[in-house]
Amino acid sequence: MPETAAEVMDTDFPTLRPDTTVQEAARILQQLNDKPGPRVFGLMVTDNENRLVGMFSIYDLLLLARPKHMHIYGEMTDIDFSGLLAKVGRSIRGVLVGDVMSTNLITVTPETHILMIVDLMIKKHVRRIPVLEEGKIVGIVYLSRVFRRLLDHILSE
Amino acid sequence: MQTATYKNVLAGLTVADAMRRQIVRLSASDPISQAIRCTIKFKVNAVLIDTDAQQAVGVVSKTDLMSAYYAGFDLETPLEAIMVGPPTLCRPDAPLDEALKSMQTHGIHRLYVKPDGPHPLNGVLAYPDIVGLLYRFCRRCEKSTTGRKLGTAKEDWAEMLRVREVMTPKLIQAGRDQTLSEVMELLSGHRLGAVLIHDDTGLPLGVVSKTDLIAAYMHGLDPTTVAAADIMKGPPLACEENDLLSETLWVMIYNDVYRMFVYRDRPENMVGVLSLSDAARFRSGSCKACLSSRIQL
Repeated sequence: MPETAAEVMDTDFPTLRPDTTVQEAARILQQLNDKPGPRVFGLMVTDNENRLVGMFSIYDLLLLARPKHMHIYGEMTDIDFSGLLAKVGRSIRGVLVGDVMSTNLITVTPETHILMIVDLMIKKHVRRIPVLEEGKIVGIVYLSRVFRRLLDHILSE
Repeated sequence: MQTATYKNVLAGLTVADAMRRQIVRLSASDPISQAIRCTIKFKVNAVLIDTDAQQAVGVVSKTDLMSAYYAGFDLETPLEAIMVGPPTLCRPDAPLDEALKSMQTHGIHRLYVKPDGPHPLNGVLAYPDIVGLLYRFCRRCEKSTTGRKLGTAKEDWAEMLRVREVMTPKLIQAGRDQTLSEVMELLSGHRLGAVLIHDDTGLPLGVVSKTDLIAAYMHGLDPTTVAAADIMKGPPLACEENDLLSETLWVMIYNDVYRMFVYRDRPENMVGVLSLSDAARFRSGSCKACLSSRIQL
């Protein structure tokens, strides 16, 4: 076996557009996670010609949800903050994916060795890496797939 | 006497006590669009521009991004073209009060924090960062509203700070049909962060902030034709000028806003703006309650 990205990448991947709202992205993420298969916490963002322009992941969403005065909340222990989570949910749903997506992306090719992907995931703190072939998206490698493949090898005779 | 030394609640605190440790960094070759995404996502008013060797070379603030929008820069323009720099620095062990004073004298909104020696920047200090500290110390004060709720405070409420004493008693408004370019001229001319948008009869409808403008930039809206009403957020969050400062601060923090508009008697009669910067600048050293009780850290 050549042990490359091609073996561990998922080729059935939904994508978002930069003008997708956070609300719509949330709906897509929820639907994906209701289905069997790997848990999806991030999606690729593509333009009209299906070129990769960004990634929208759980971390982008967490940053967007975090109130800008969060550091003050620790001081305000005497105050009831109930209802704040619902308020945050309402206030961020109209934001566009293109406004908050990450654009400094790391990509690999189908021929990239799996251990190279392991190295990238460790060094760059990423859990999913798009796979491009001549600039065209052909798949995405999820950390969970790499992990499963590694388990297989640890357990094989 | 010790009380003379402690005339201000921030005495004894250093910059390191108040600074934020997360600095949003970009490189001079990154495009303007990247800086806009960072200000929206990280909810910061400025990003630091540094080199691969972590040497700080400049700052790009929301004001700079707004000016780039006004001037018609392409979103892919490298930040090098619009950055201002190098950043103004202070030391982590500098007295907080001194740092605030220097921000005020230099008319700047943030200081980057750099330890002595060959160490990279490790924090950033802006006015809103101090509000949390003020909250902590003012709450300890027996004259605070919390104290009142607990029934421990003295009955001396005339001394409580009201919004009108701290607010900026100036208000810039724009009509709903004014273009984004016109709104930007108002903002930069008056060095403000947001304008109130009113309808034809003068009723407040909403707010357009620098953040809304740079989002419009990101979305490719033509600032010379798009109207303020198309991007404003509303209705504006407002308070009465005689409301208690401490309670108004709480409303601002709960709603995660940076400013509130202030009216007299009726919401239609807007008279000023209260920002977290106003609250931080008007720090408790000059609070009447604080001066009279001389609380110590």
